[in-house]
Amino acid sequence: MRHRNLLVLILQFLVLSLFAQGAAALEPVKVKVTPPTVELGTFYGGAKMHVAGMTGAGSKIVVVVRGPSAAEVFNKVGRVGPIWVNTGKVTISAAPSLLLIFSSEPLSTCLNPAAIDQYQLDLGSLKKHMQVETKAPDRDPIADDFLDYKVHQGNYRITSHSVHLGAPDQGGLPYSLDFEMPKTASPGKYQVSVLECRNGAVANKSDVDLGVVEVGFPALVARLARERASLYGIISVVIAMVAGFGIDFIASRIFKRRVAAH
Amino acid sequence: MWILLPVAGMSIPLPILVGVGALVGFLSGMFGVSGGFLLTPILMMIGIPPTVAAASDSCQIVAGSSSGAAAHFRLGNVDVKLGFVLLLGGLAGAAVGVRIIKILRALGSADFVITVTYVVVLGAIGGYMFFESLQNLRRGALVPKSHRASTEQGLLSRLPFQIDFPRSQVRHSVFVPFVLCGIVGILAAIMGVGGGFIMVPMMVYLLRMPMHKAVGTDLFQILFTSAGVTFLQATTNHTVDLMLALLLAAGSTIGAQIGTRVGRLLRGDQLKILLASIVLVVMIKMAVGLLMTPSLLITPAKGH
Repeated sequence: MRHRNLLVLILQFLVLSLFAQGAAALEPVKVKVTPPTVELGTFYGGAKMHVAGMTGAGSKIVVVVRGPSAAEVFNKVGRVGPIWVNTGKVTISAAPSLLLIFSSEPLSTCLNPAAIDQYQLDLGSLKKHMQVETKAPDRDPIADDFLDYKVHQGNYRITSHSVHLGAPDQGGLPYSLDFEMPKTASPGKYQVSVLECRNGAVANKSDVDLGVVEVGFPALVARLARERASLYGIISVVIAMVAGFGIDFIASRIFKRRVAAH
Repeated sequence: MWILLPVAGMSIPLPILVGVGALVGFLSGMFGVSGGFLLTPILMMIGIPPTVAAASDSCQIVAGSSSGAAAHFRLGNVDVKLGFVLLLGGLAGAAVGVRIIKILRALGSADFVITVTYVVVLGAIGGYMFFESLQNLRRGALVPKSHRASTEQGLLSRLPFQIDFPRSQVRHSVFVPFVLCGIVGILAAIMGVGGGFIMVPMMVYLLRMPMHKAVGTDLFQILFTSAGVTFLQATTNHTVDLMLALLLAAGSTIGAQIGTRVGRLLRGDQLKILLASIVLVVMIKMAVGLLMTPSLLITPAKGH
């Protein structure tokens, strides 16, 4: 009887330990993004961002910053006789406005091709998923040019060895990332995702919202331009005229003084 | 220092914007051109979406031309009477040009026509001005220029409603400046520019106005045209970036003041040959751009 009770206790301990391990594996990666909101003020020229948290020991980390996927309209350039001119419009959707991918190791060593494709973590998978509306027969060159344009703009970027892993402790494995939010970031709701990678697959994933908002004078101008266009048009003309006549008045005084001095 | 352009939706270094504005303002004050044909391509080169570049350009032209027109007014170079006739003709022409563009867009050939018109008009005006001014400069400053009344001038003088424009020392039928400016207005609307670089040569060669008077009067009428265009762009397309326009204007108003004074140091023919050279350089750059295969087959259609 005593042996039987002991056996039950051991079994209970083993079952509880297994559950505890399972719970730890399912526990989401801890993520803290600083600042939580990027403010696009008058002198915005990019923002220094910091992502930090804890993950399970022995894992590799991929951090993805993804912008909202709004449709973008482009002019399609084509050849008419010997010259190159705009020949129509192209609308590209289902592609993020911004995609920054950072990893603790090269992406191909963190995740297998299927996972990279599933989470759209390279240009090839983005190209596969994006939608291109065009009258042109071949969408591939347009999709390639869109990706080149985004990379050239600095809005699509993949950087390996940029996520730093600390020494593992009882709480897990600490990680941190410092990056610059691009100057071309447009207002909207962004998402920072941290992927904990094990054996080429995503073992765990945590998402944090990152707001990018216009503040101050730019916010006022953008709102007026959108919502009160007539008033904005009149204000624009009046301010431009006042600036022109004002500068002329000041300049005429300065030049008159110089002539008098001579 | 970077500055956020709220309508263009991007940040640009402040000195670049002010510097570009100063350069274009200098040319504006010197030659009486609005500079739109130079500024819009430069803004596009630094990454501003084309529609925002064109609309904000017209807003900054309001500032630049008001500064330049005021400076020329004090120097006695603005013919207000002729300026209003030109303005009426220009507005009528612009209205016709906008209709033409609408028809061309429906036919799907607007961009082709605009681009080819640009190169042909710039090439024709620039080439004619350049060689004519070169001939005059070779003849020398001391040789009086012959003002032969051409057959066209004789015909024009027989038209009804002849009016004296004492400030410009010319006499014309009211239809002459009105129709000429109407044609320029059509071209300006098709090409999407202020039209100063077409207007000033027209005033000098066809209306026989002195160069400095043509420059001052042109700036005067550009002020009103660009104000109208700015308002229309703001209300219909929402593409006027006030921040961008003000920074360009800050540079251009100062540049226009300097340009106006530098312009006074040069003779009319010297001014003409300089303007012709700039027009030809822009035309050659555009022609090369049309023939070379672009690096990307898509260009952004608008800002956000």
